[in-house]
Amino acid sequence: MSARVSTSVAVLIAALGALALLTLTYGQIALPLADTLGALTGTQSTDLARQIVLDIRLPRVVAAIVAGGALGMAGVLMQALFRNPVADAWSLGLLAGGQLGVALTVTAAAFAGPAAVSFLTLFEGPSITLAAAVGVAIAAFAMLALGRRVGAITLLVIGLMLGFTSQGLTSVLLHFAARAGGRIYGGWQDASFAGVAPEALPWLALPILLGACAAVATAKSLSSLLLGETYARSLGVKVTALRHAVLAATVLLVAPVVAFCGPVSFVGLIAPHFARALAGTARILPLLPLAALGGALLALSGDAIIHAPWEQHFLHLNAILAIVGAPVVILILIFSPAVRQWR
Amino acid sequence: MLDLQSLTVGYRNARGAVVSDIDLSAAPGDFVCILGRNGSGKSTLMRTIAGLQTALDGAALLDGEDIASMRPATRARRIAVVLTERQFNPGLRVDDVIALARQPFTGWQGGLAEDDRVAITDAVAVTGVEPFLRRFFSDLSDGERQRVMIARALAQTPHLMILDEITAFLDLPSRVEIMAMLRDQAREKDQIVLLSSHDLDLSLQLADSVWLLDDAGGFSVGTPDELSRSGAIGGAFDTGAIRFSPERGRFEIGAAGVGCRREA
Repeated sequence: MSARVSTSVAVLIAALGALALLTLTYGQIALPLADTLGALTGTQSTDLARQIVLDIRLPRVVAAIVAGGALGMAGVLMQALFRNPVADAWSLGLLAGGQLGVALTVTAAAFAGPAAVSFLTLFEGPSITLAAAVGVAIAAFAMLALGRRVGAITLLVIGLMLGFTSQGLTSVLLHFAARAGGRIYGGWQDASFAGVAPEALPWLALPILLGACAAVATAKSLSSLLLGETYARSLGVKVTALRHAVLAATVLLVAPVVAFCGPVSFVGLIAPHFARALAGTARILPLLPLAALGGALLALSGDAIIHAPWEQHFLHLNAILAIVGAPVVILILIFSPAVRQWR
Repeated sequence: MLDLQSLTVGYRNARGAVVSDIDLSAAPGDFVCILGRNGSGKSTLMRTIAGLQTALDGAALLDGEDIASMRPATRARRIAVVLTERQFNPGLRVDDVIALARQPFTGWQGGLAEDDRVAITDAVAVTGVEPFLRRFFSDLSDGERQRVMIARALAQTPHLMILDEITAFLDLPSRVEIMAMLRDQAREKDQIVLLSSHDLDLSLQLADSVWLLDDAGGFSVGTPDELSRSGAIGGAFDTGAIRFSPERGRFEIGAAGVGCRREA
């Protein structure tokens, strides 16, 4: 790892740690830093502080970091796989596909009767992760197949349109699911890290960890795919197998995020650009930790803004990500030298 | 040593065989120019030899091993290609592009060892791409991009280098420089260089051997001198408007043009 990359990683880790601590201290009830640290380390602290920090805020902060990191890495994979600087799990409709998978499963259970609903509630972690994974995988393979026929911009528009369609269907389905007695996924469609229960954290983190390993394993070959398919083959890469491996990694990274946090937008699109600028290279391996940390930082910042002690609750995650993220993407597209030729 | 054994290249569709039954060989250090008009099958032949396309029949052997059945990783250590295809790559810089050539030789992380760095430095020096190493690849002009891809192929330290139409975007001095450099590299490093070109004059002056493809699927091989004298070059390229002159070793404007000059 070059000095430039390791310095950036160290700085990002420090920034992420500081932001995480800050996020743990404030909210509707402000806690002194000493109490927060005490609750975290299990030493001197009040019961109230411990409850607020460990039971309420920590799972949210961990979920934001893990989910943001996963989306950042998935963004790196998607942008390299599609050779498209605005590709990511959200823009190409993978998140929406995952949502539709979950909505279909929940609705099916609601109509199947109380037994199915209670089964789904009991095995909520694995079942909704799996449902999301199926949805994400179908969307991903559809995009990959389409990507070989249409240009990058057409693919992007198709991805966004399919995303809107899936989201529309999801909202209709969830309405019926709620009427039929299924679980109501309140706020899920707007994306949130607050809904992740502590016991759900392993179901969020485990697939993401596997996905991260798969991403690291494919990184070298994926770098040569940046030269195009034929050059990659001339460098000894089995392109079809690589594509499938990268998609599998993407599904593992993205599906748990959709399942537990909803369609978190923009993080996966922006983090890779940020990583490339810091690393000074487009090689995949150094980008992965930087994009993971950058994504985590973005997601946690969004979460921190929402949970600042406002007078009333008026912000949701995708609102703040869109308000900040969309202009950033526009600026990247207009000014970034890295995408000049693509424009 | 490159051996083509009754190699037939083409497509398993309506287009069918493009060039059939090629038997020939090239020795290390040979600078071979492949000449022929558009659509005569130069690219198909080169892609097949590179192992990027399957042969319809026969085989291409490098150092006695069938290229098509080599393990992809082995093939990547022995054969480098430069092709005409262009793709957009977000954020890819020139030094990344050249360093990617070393992937067949590096570990799972793709980290560069000392000999990888030496190969890269050499390739950068002989191609003169040093000034734009930190620029974005997609920002380069077509000519600069060709140079970078040639540097990348050299950095792959192959036994066989296959270059398709690489001089198309270069000006005349650059073409001469690049082709002469490739010939010198071939001799110095005992590499076989196969290069397709529309640059007849230059190819005929520099090549050790010429593979000539005509429109009818015909194939002839020889030194530039042999092929000019036998009329094979004229056979492949002459039209009503231009004619190859074996005496002068170059093309001349045909009957209509000559007639004009006489009148003046």
